[in-house]
Parts: sequence; structure tokens; C-alpha cells
Amino acid sequence: MKTIKNFLCVFFFVLPFIVSAQDLAPVVQSVNKENDVSGLIQVRSQLERFIVAQPQQWLAGYYLAYVDVQLSFKVSANDDKLRYLAEAETYLNKLSELKETDKSEINTLKGLRLYALIASDPQTNGPKYSGKIISDYETALGINPNNPRAIILSALFKNDMAKFMHQTYGNFQKDIDNASTLFAAESSAVLTPTWGKSWVDFALTKK
Amino acid sequence: MKILKLQQMKGRSLLILLFFTGVMNGFAQLRSVSGKVLNEQSKPMTNANVFIKGTIDGATSDSLGNFSFTTSQKGEITVCARMLGYAEFTVQVSEKKSTTLVLKMRPDNITLDNVVVSAGNFRLKGNGQFGKMSAVDIVTTAGSTGDLYHSLRTLPGAQMVGESGKLFIRGGDSNESQTYIDEMHVLSPYTTTGDNIPVRGRYSPFMFEGINFSTGACSSEYAQGLSSVLALNTKDVSPITKIGVNASSVGASGGGTQAFDKGSVSLSLEYQNLDPYHKLIPDRINWIKPYQLISGSSQIRFNPNQSTVFKTFIGYNRTTFIQHLTSPDNQTTRNQGMTDDNLYLNSTFQKTTESGYKFFAGAAFSFKNQHVEDAVISKDSYRDKEWEVHLKTKVSKRFTDFLRLNVGLENFFRHDETSYAYSSTISPDSINHSIGALFATAVLNINSNLYGELSDRMEYTSINNLWNSNPRVALTYNLSGVHFSGIIGKYTQLPENKYLLLNKNLLAEECTQYVGGMYYEKKDKVYRIETYYKKYNDLALQEPTTLNSNGYGYSKGVDVFFNDRNLFRNFEYMLAYSFCLSKKKYQDYTELSTPQYATTHNATVSVKYNIPIVKSILGITNRFASGRPYHDPTKDGIMNSTTGVYNSVDMSLTYLASKKVIIYASASNLLGRQNVYNYNYTADATSPGGYRKTPVIDSSNHFFYLGIFITLSGKTAYDVSNF
Repeated sequence: MKTIKNFLCVFFFVLPFIVSAQDLAPVVQSVNKENDVSGLIQVRSQLERFIVAQPQQWLAGYYLAYVDVQLSFKVSANDDKLRYLAEAETYLNKLSELKETDKSEINTLKGLRLYALIASDPQTNGPKYSGKIISDYETALGINPNNPRAIILSALFKNDMAKFMHQTYGNFQKDIDNASTLFAAESSAVLTPTWGKSWVDFALTKK
Repeated sequence: MKILKLQQMKGRSLLILLFFTGVMNGFAQLRSVSGKVLNEQSKPMTNANVFIKGTIDGATSDSLGNFSFTTSQKGEITVCARMLGYAEFTVQVSEKKSTTLVLKMRPDNITLDNVVVSAGNFRLKGNGQFGKMSAVDIVTTAGSTGDLYHSLRTLPGAQMVGESGKLFIRGGDSNESQTYIDEMHVLSPYTTTGDNIPVRGRYSPFMFEGINFSTGACSSEYAQGLSSVLALNTKDVSPITKIGVNASSVGASGGGTQAFDKGSVSLSLEYQNLDPYHKLIPDRINWIKPYQLISGSSQIRFNPNQSTVFKTFIGYNRTTFIQHLTSPDNQTTRNQGMTDDNLYLNSTFQKTTESGYKFFAGAAFSFKNQHVEDAVISKDSYRDKEWEVHLKTKVSKRFTDFLRLNVGLENFFRHDETSYAYSSTISPDSINHSIGALFATAVLNINSNLYGELSDRMEYTSINNLWNSNPRVALTYNLSGVHFSGIIGKYTQLPENKYLLLNKNLLAEECTQYVGGMYYEKKDKVYRIETYYKKYNDLALQEPTTLNSNGYGYSKGVDVFFNDRNLFRNFEYMLAYSFCLSKKKYQDYTELSTPQYATTHNATVSVKYNIPIVKSILGITNRFASGRPYHDPTKDGIMNSTTGVYNSVDMSLTYLASKKVIIYASASNLLGRQNVYNYNYTADATSPGGYRKTPVIDSSNHFFYLGIFITLSGKTAYDVSNF
């Protein structure tokens, strides 16, 4: 009898998390597939509902920040770009203060957000945020040297900087290969950050 | 017994099964929620996120604002609509099988608070490029020579007073422009130099994150500025530890920042010595001891959490030089020696509570100690010791979509003591006084296109025991992206200490401003036109027998600004033009006259070209100003003549040698034109040859700057800032 009681208690306690994890998984998978603005906005709306319904799910906030950054690359109005990036910053700052979050992933996304800010106004924001981007990626790789997102984004940024200076970034190919291997080993079944493979394809076009 | 237990368990299992079956049946009974999302003008809103709070049931509105979804939720539900830039909208819906809703959304507090109703700086909706500059904008503007104030002189409203270097805005004197760092007053923002050598700002533009320049009609929380306010915000906590050094044609500097978990500490040291530069490129001044500047600054920044910020800044400068001067009639010479010590300490605290209150408290201490030998004549001596303590606190909160209130208190405690000594005679003088103020501003979001601001600043000045009220009203209307703005406001400021030392009963000087303008920004282009009328009263006036407050005057004009940041790839240009008519009867102008610093026409054309192939940014600026009035004693009346026009073509080049090395070069007045700012005359016609005039010109026709900035730390690049 006690066993059944325990089972029921555990079952009802865990049930919402199982359900939520199952519900979040397809949304997260669709984040990696969506490319156009309307699709990303749909995904963003779903993530926002998750955050309101299940605030304990840090991954929903993390992915919402990621979708915001993606949207900032794709929308044309500067006001909208800045709104998305401001919201992403708010979520990333909140997530930084939580203990259970993956700080390597948070710092990687912070670096990508700054990269988006530079893309919105290269002349003003380029000199302003270049140093901070490098710092964010280095912090991310310091925590987890095998973070493929940090590896590929750091490599892309260093490669761009080197090109700007009419130099070459010697480790570019090595970083692409390393990131590709690590992405291939990632399991999409586990609810963790899995975005970023498309950046490898993008990097290959930049060689 | 066991059988009984098993039967009981089976019974419970059945109950559980029935329970889940019921739950599943419940899921199957869906109700639909549909409707339309509109903005406050009843126009459909696309991409609003509509959902039932606490669930993931919802939909996104389409291009007509329509949404529709189903839910298994029973009973009363809370339908919520969200969209970036808008306040969350919620509505309770009772149990019905299907529901059609109309959801009306309004802009959120952040969007509302980004509206800055100010014709003076036109920073509307937080995105205006004009008047909000970055350090990089400043140093890459040719003619700025890396100096904040020199760069601001290229903007409309600023007048070209080349021999001074200070800000003269819209017909106002330089003391009518005030500088604030993190909302705290800076008593002495300029370096000390000799006669006709332009001053520079004491602080590097790279210290600041935000540089907001108001050419008039500033907020009621800024005090004692009749014409303009330069509000500087220091950088937030640096997440990067960095060290850098710099060597240039005028000196060297170095420093760094240590980042901590929730804070950072920065330190910078600088030494300037113009002797090597003048040996290479001589100027017209006979230096006995070269111009030298030693300065150090430090800042501690601490963010214990996202909503709390502590900042403390301290900066110290010591300037020394001796120059050999000859009187206009060539009869006397003297070696004027200057020693100037300046200290500025500023500490601020800001906190935003969860309920939306924003608290600010700050304290600043400015200290200046100046000693001049051979100040006016040989063997005399002049000392000036001045300090100011500024205390300020304020709180602001948005109470409704319509209203935001900002209320604050501040006090300035001021002390100035001067001493002039010649032979055995010493003439000391001093004043102590305070200015207390209460300010309040109501920002009114009348609708999404019409914003208003009502404010008042009540000031008590202890020196004359008087109260002043400074009411201001501002309105901005947004018509399809074109912002029309108008302000009427009163501003008061105590006369300069040199006058208060002579007459402590002088009234606060008063300026009533009427400003109207239009602003439009689209993609990379900014268009702005603004007209103003400034009416001065109670100005300090030196009449033959008395120093009184009977002075008055006016200033009126038009400022035009156009900036295209992407005319073609990597090319940016800016056009600025100011027309200004200014007349004052004040100080020693005994008739209503155009002040000596005022020019009717000022124009600037500035271009910047980023040349990736050579990793460089090239800047060229051409500045023009019509002639300056001056007083010719051989003619009738006062301010009866005009100098020739001013023109200067300046160039700058920023070269990114590597990620860690930046080389910056600038040259002023490439065409070598000798610009005359004024004429000094011998005291009377009885001097040999009658009145003899000497032109006031730059100490040298050109100024060249070459600097190399090296980043020594590992985690930063293209960064000339140690802060």
C-alpha cells in the first residue's frame, strides 16, 4: 500500500515535468528548423507560453533569447531589432543568476547577441562590443571547452576579424572540424541547447 | 486478509483508472477561444501572442489581428495577449463553449519611457542619433583631436570660438553650458591653458557610455545652465579585465580595468608634456617652462544585482607652465606661470524596485586650486581656490500609461576664495553660498503620438536669499514618423563668482527659451531643423558706478542638421548649419551689442570614410564661421567692427594596425589659414603710434596629433580604452 502511495505521489509530482519536457521538445526542435520570420515568431510565442506556464524551465527562456537573436537578424526595422535584442538581454541576465543553468551556453548566447548588435549597426557597435564578444566566447570555452556553439561562433568571429585586418585565422578549419564532430555527437533526444549546426555550414562558405 | 488487501488495491486501481479516464474525457471536451487583437487606435495587431495564462494553449494573431485556438481548460480562464513593446493585456473569461474576444493593447512602460520630450536634444523614442554620440564617433570626427568639447563644436547650435575651446551655444556665453557626469555637476570640466590656447575636456571620451548633448531646453533636474547641458554617463561594470598603454605626440598614458564577479575597478594615469612637440613644430608662444599635465583617474563600479548600481569616480589633474608674454604696446614683458590642481570625486547609487520605483542618490565634490604668477603685470600673483559639494536624490515612477513622475531634491554648497597680491599689498576675497532646489517633472503620454512634459524647478539661492521658480512645458507630436516638438521654459543661473565677489545681492540671471522644431530619422539618415528664441533678463551689468542685475538681451536663430550614415558603402557625411543673432547688454557691454564670441553663420561639413582595404577610417571636416564682432576704439560705438571669416579644414586617420594596436593621427587647419578671432588694442591713443592693434589668433596655424594605442591584455581588441 505504502509503495502504491509513494508511486502515486512521485507520479503526480513528476507528471507535470514529464508532460512539459515532452511538450517543449518539439518546440525546441522546431527552433532549429525555422528560418523565416513568421515561423520564428510562432516558435517564440510557444516558448513565451512555456515561460509563463512553467517558469522553472530555464531552457524555454534560453531558447526564447536565442529566437529573439535570430529574429533580430531577420527583421528589417531597427526598432524591432533592438526590442528583440533587449528582451534577449533581459532573459540572459536572469538566467545568469540561476544556479542550474549551463553558464557556458549562456555566455555563448551572450556573445551571439552582441554579434547581432554589431550586425544592426557595425560602425557604432563594432568597436564597442568586439572585445566583449571575444571575452564571452572565451568564458564559455573556459567553462566547457567542448561547447560546439562557442567553438564555431568564436571561430567565425576571429576569422572575420582576421579578414578585416587582411590576416588569416590559422585555426579556422580546425575549429570547424572540431565543432562538426561535437555537433554530430550531440543527442537531440536530451533537452539541452542543440542549435548551431547551421553556423558550421555558414562557416564553410566563408573559407 | 491478503485477499482483502488485494481487492482493496484493485478497487483503488480501478478508481485511478476511472480518474484518468475522466481526465482524458475532460481533455476531449474542447472549447474554442477566438477574437481580434487591436492597438489603441483600433488597428489590427499582427503577431501578438494570445494564450490562456498558466497553460501553453494559445495562438499568434494573423495580419488582420485575428486569432483562434481551442483549449481543454474548464471554468473561468485568464486570456493573455503579449507583444514586444506593448503592455500585457489580460481578460477573465467565464465558462462558455466558445468565446470571441476583442483585445486592445497599449504601449508598455519601456516604450513609453523611451519617449524623451525635448526639442533641445531631439533624442526622441530613444533612438535619435543626433545629440547622442559614442566615443568612437567623437575621435573619428576630424577636428576633434580626440576631445569631447572640440567634437561637439561641429554640431549645430555650437559657435566657433577657436581661441577658447569651450562650448558657446546659441548665442550663450561659455559659463551658460554645464557638464554633468552620472547626473552630478562638474565644476571645472575644462583643462587650464594659457591665453588663446584652446582648452580641452579633462576627461577622456572613452570613459563614457552615453554622451547626451542638449543645446537648449534641458531637463528640470539639471541646474545652473542657461544655454546647454552636456550629460555624460560613465560606462557600466566592465566584464573584461584589460590593460593598455598609449604614446602620442603630446605625452603618454596607461591603465587598466580589473573585472570581478559583480564589479570592476579601473585606473588610468596620464602625463603630457608639449616641449618635444614644440621643439619639432614651434608655435607663437615663448615657453619658459613647457605645458605639462599629470592626471590620474579611477572608477569603481559595482552591480550587486541587476537592479542596483554603485559607481564612484575620482579624477585628479595638475597643470603647470610658464610663458613669456609681451604687452600689446611692446613696452612690458612678464613670465606668466600657472599651477592648477583639480580634483573631482563623484559617487552615485541607483536602484529600481520591483514595484517600479527608480531611486537615485549621488554626491560630488569638485575642487580647483589655481595659482598664477605674473598674472596681469610682472611680479604680481593671483590665487583662486574654489570648491563645490553637490548632493542630489531623486525618485521616479510610472504610475499609469498616461503618467510618469520624477521628483528630486538637490543642494550645491559653494566656496570661492581669491587673493591678488602685488608688492606688499594682498587683496583677499571670498564667498560661501548654497543653492537648494526641488524639482518635479510629469511626463504625460497623452496618446501614442502625442507626448507632453510639465516640470518646475524651485531654487533657493542663499547668497541673495531669493527663491526662483523655473516652470517648463514641452509637447511632441509624432506625425507618421516626423516629430514636431515645442518647448517653453524658464532657466536661471547665478552670475559668475567674479561678479558675486563684488556684489552679493546680484539676482540670478534668467533666460526664457522658446524652442520649436522638427525631427525625422529614417534608416541611416537624420534630418533636423530647429528654431529658437532666448530672452535674457537680470544679467550682471557693470555700469560706470555700479555692478547690478539690469542686463538683458536676446538670442534667436535656426539650426539645421543632416546626417547620412550610409550614402554609399562605408561612407558617412554630416552637414550642420546655424544662424544666430545675439545681442546683450551685460558685463562690460554698456549698450545692447553682439557679444564678442557670437557669430551669425556657422557651418560644418564632415565626412568619414571607412577604407577596409587599408584598415583605416579617414575623416575630413570643413568648418566655416562668419566674422566675429570686435571693438575698434578708433570708431564710434561699441563692437563696431567684424573680423574676417573663419575657415578650417581638418583631417583625421584611424589605422587598425592589428587587433591590439591602433594608430590615430589628426591635423587641423590643413590649408594653413590664419584665422583672426579678435583684436587687442593698446590702452589709449597716447601710446606711440596711437592705438595699436594685435590680432588674437591661434598659437599655431596647425596642430598635429599622432598617437599609438596598444592593448596589452588578452581578452579585448580594437579598444583604446583602459576604462
